[in-house]
Amino acid sequence: MKKDRNSFIFRFLLTLLVILAINFFLPRMMPGDPFSTTSADVAGDEIIVMTEEQREYYIGYYGMDKPQYEQFFIYLKNLAAGDLGKSISYKMPVWSVIKIHLPWTILIVLCATALSTFIGVIFGTISAKNRKKSSDRFMMAGMIAFAEIPSFLLGLILLLIFCVYLRMFPLAGAVTPFAVYGGVLDQAWDIMYHAFLPVVTLSFAQLTGVYLLTRNTLITVTSKDYIRTARGKGLGEKIVWNRHALRNALLPVVTRTGFMIGMMMGGAVLVESVFSYPGIGMTLRAAVVGRDYPLIQGILLVLAVSILVCNLTVDKVYQMLDPRVSV
Amino acid sequence: MNGENVSCQKKEFYSSAFILVAGNLSDGTKKIFSKFSIEGKIGVFGLIMIIMMAVFAPLITSYPPDKITGNSLDSPSSDHYLGTDELGMDIWSQICYGARMSLAIGLAVACIAGFGGGALGVIAGYKGGVFDQVLMRVIDVTMALPSLPLLIVISAFLGPSIINIILILVLFSWAKPARISRSQTLSIKNNDYVISARMFGAKPFYILRKHIFPEVLPILFVLILSISSYAIIAETGLAFLGLGDPTSKSWGMMLNYATGFRSIYFTPYWQWWLLPPLFMLIFLLLSLAFISRDMERVLDPKLRIKKGD
Repeated sequence: MKKDRNSFIFRFLLTLLVILAINFFLPRMMPGDPFSTTSADVAGDEIIVMTEEQREYYIGYYGMDKPQYEQFFIYLKNLAAGDLGKSISYKMPVWSVIKIHLPWTILIVLCATALSTFIGVIFGTISAKNRKKSSDRFMMAGMIAFAEIPSFLLGLILLLIFCVYLRMFPLAGAVTPFAVYGGVLDQAWDIMYHAFLPVVTLSFAQLTGVYLLTRNTLITVTSKDYIRTARGKGLGEKIVWNRHALRNALLPVVTRTGFMIGMMMGGAVLVESVFSYPGIGMTLRAAVVGRDYPLIQGILLVLAVSILVCNLTVDKVYQMLDPRVSV
Repeated sequence: MNGENVSCQKKEFYSSAFILVAGNLSDGTKKIFSKFSIEGKIGVFGLIMIIMMAVFAPLITSYPPDKITGNSLDSPSSDHYLGTDELGMDIWSQICYGARMSLAIGLAVACIAGFGGGALGVIAGYKGGVFDQVLMRVIDVTMALPSLPLLIVISAFLGPSIINIILILVLFSWAKPARISRSQTLSIKNNDYVISARMFGAKPFYILRKHIFPEVLPILFVLILSISSYAIIAETGLAFLGLGDPTSKSWGMMLNYATGFRSIYFTPYWQWWLLPPLFMLIFLLLSLAFISRDMERVLDPKLRIKKGD
């Protein structure tokens, strides 16, 4: 077992290294260069045409004249010191750019995780209680069909129905622009109002997983002896379900939640684009279009590391919650 | 009509060839199909319909998809069944020709990743040793990589072309078939009949061809269905973000153009410009999912026996 755990850490580090390497070398191989974009494509702004001298200066300033491997080591060294470099289009440290946008992504991802876990467990329980009845079959078929629709297409449908057709929700943004809030509650309401559809979209994508897991585990658990004992003791149906069955069935759901956070961080990129939600995914898209190398690297790194850390944590948490696994 | 017949015959030929290879499922396509649930049958018909649309696109459309044939943003009429986009191109023909794009990408990625990954897995499982170890490490890392953010960045770097997109998607989807076919190979390899075949002097290639591939192929086939739907989703996502091939209009590119149009949501244009590709994509993905779920169910007893080994 010890060897196994070591190999897990080893795998984690290896994956991290691969991501770092891709992260570093890929943007540098992309066609185009950041200075030609700044010099021509700033719509509406004054157009700055760089002289060759200025160009040289900037290339030197961002350290792009050094050989690539040297740049890579400098990158790793800075990374270890918590420095992600400077964004070329925002003209400020990458970490500050990420710090502005990351909270929005975290907000919708966490809300979506909570929502999908909650609803998934409830639906799963209902389904397991009505097993072999037509309502269970119907629910399951619906949920599975639903899971096949990718989240951004679902987001587009929701956007068309609720924002365009019914005009119930805003089309874009995370807050009402130039709003003056009466109080904290007012502001929180506005934020929830804007985040509602992205959260619903993201949680629908994960709902089926939680639902199926809850349903199947519950069905396994309820055939166990201790459930029969509990019923035999004369405990009420409610107590048997809530205390004996559900508590045991929730174990895998907890670990799934961790994986879900990781997956949603990636999936949020597309959903944010649908709703023009100013999270990290929108920033990544803008950075790719603007060839902003340091920003792309920073965002990829943040996303990748958060996904990897989530998976690692889940593994540890699962061992703690269920001692049977490590034996 | 003749072409339809030929393609039908071809299809039948391939599927029956597949079944012959699969060996254990020799009772024919009809038998498998009859085991499908209602959803599965709907899925098969849906998929066939979309394939027909793609194959016979020139016959069922009256305009080329990439020529200006009408006014800008016409609403649906008898002339342009689904109206036109902002450049005056016919949307119905874009849908039909776009089906070719989406299907081709799905099929290409699934076949390369499925058979390529599957072959790697079988070889690794059969030979073992250093190659197996290295391959397993690579598979682990590939599966742990967060695919969507990396997909976005890599396709931005490689430039928007269909070949590049297919290659990237293969890069991200070969690991699962490789891993599964490896574990299948491992469990088949130590069966008595394989060992005795080896005792009688069967060459590795003969054993692979006679004993291992026929067992692994049905599983690969199910995986290929799920990979192709993954590839279609991923291509749509990339195109939606503006990272698709601008010269070939897939359904994802149509979504990208439509959502990129200023004030599309404040005008009625979305009704005939945004809805058709959206609907077709969902229809295609659901069809694929239904089929692959039923295939999995039909093949499941076999799978379970092997997992229990």
